[in-house]
Amino acid sequence: MPTQGFDFAKLTLMDALDLAVLVEAEAKERYEEFAYQMEQHRTPEAARFFRYMVENETKHGEQLAQRRQELFGSTKAVVNGTMLFDVEAPDYDAARAFMTPRAAMAAALESEKKAYAFFSSAIPAIKDPQVRALFAELRDEELEHQDLVHAELAKLPEEALVSDEDFVDPPNSPD
Amino acid sequence: MNGTTTMEFQPKDYKSDLKPIWCPGCGDFSVVAAIYRALAAIGRPPHEIAFVSGIGCSSRIPGYTTAYGFNSVHGRSLPIAQGIKMANPELLVLAAGGDGDGFSIGGGHIPHMIRRNMDITYIVMDNQIYGLTKGQLSPTSKKGRTSSTSRHGSLEQPVNPLLYALAYGAGFVAQAAPIDIAGMAATIEEAIRYPGFAFVNIQSPCVTYGEESQQIKGLKAISESLPALGHNPADRLAAMDLAQHYGDKLHLGVFYRNPEPPPTYGDLIKERQELLSKDALPRERILDLFIKK
Repeated sequence: MPTQGFDFAKLTLMDALDLAVLVEAEAKERYEEFAYQMEQHRTPEAARFFRYMVENETKHGEQLAQRRQELFGSTKAVVNGTMLFDVEAPDYDAARAFMTPRAAMAAALESEKKAYAFFSSAIPAIKDPQVRALFAELRDEELEHQDLVHAELAKLPEEALVSDEDFVDPPNSPD
Repeated sequence: MNGTTTMEFQPKDYKSDLKPIWCPGCGDFSVVAAIYRALAAIGRPPHEIAFVSGIGCSSRIPGYTTAYGFNSVHGRSLPIAQGIKMANPELLVLAAGGDGDGFSIGGGHIPHMIRRNMDITYIVMDNQIYGLTKGQLSPTSKKGRTSSTSRHGSLEQPVNPLLYALAYGAGFVAQAAPIDIAGMAATIEEAIRYPGFAFVNIQSPCVTYGEESQQIKGLKAISESLPALGHNPADRLAAMDLAQHYGDKLHLGVFYRNPEPPPTYGDLIKERQELLSKDALPRERILDLFIKK
């Protein structure tokens, strides 16, 4: 489980919403980092896709934050950013220099699947029916996000037989 | 750690505006993320933290935090960190760098940090290669490793950082890897909380010059959690036994934590100062010490 310090059985609806906001914020931050890395390595197509993911995560995070605000106002959050790790954010290891847009989308798809698995595996441990419903909703949204990425993948032309990777110097080149 | 202020912080409070320029996929991204989380869990404000490094890819790390940072001289992070700690004992002092910085040019400093029991946390991002200078053998490179400086394979045995720190008597020795960021953050937090010299070796893959077996997938294949093995971190001999597998197995967690930490160098200095201050002459009579009666 990519979190620490959580007992899902004890999560309240407010905690669950705060957790969901943090999950989106972490993913947004990671995609921003990936976009910057791609820009640095002159891979604008992959950077553009990661920026698109930043927009998606921002929008979703804002919706969840608004819902939290409406239900619980400014009540102090109990959960915090030290308690979760890479729920929806792609693994740092997923980025590579000179990523193709297809590789960037594959990395995003993996992270959406990871988030789906996280919410799915948490549901059986949740006691509060409202929290369970929220987690089921979030899990289903991860499926929608996967569809979004699939739609982007479908827009890409067929993969060339020779990839950009073939032009990168191999590691450990002794010359 | 000598605690002063503890407040509620989020990991982002320790993240600076400077963006890392490591290669995409570098293990050091996870390390700095784990450090943000560990520092947030501890809750010391950034201005009460000093972060010192040497030279190398990983030594850029202080700049990516909001703590006071010193990207110093190759191999000299530990003596500089010691100076900072002596000058301002209330600071939380971290030192970091790579395996080349720590175990080659800076290797001679580690025993002295350990014998003095400086209250410093030393984090080494061990990737078994000199990455910044484009892939030369480092002190932890495996025997037989080919690189730009060993076209036919290294002839030397690697340094074993875990055994090295344990043999000199370090009070806290642990290992972590980006295959478990939560575990890495918890290990770093525990190291910082240990009152004395704490050493954390992190297997941080170099995506550009590292071998396939050293990447995340390869590390996962040889990793074993020390708590899952039932290892008792108070057992130093058992820790040394496990540490001998460095390079073949990746043991994650705390190898050794001294259950009765001895006083730190800072504690002893304070004690000595208090003792001597009883007989100290007032400032205006200080020259009397040099006058023969």
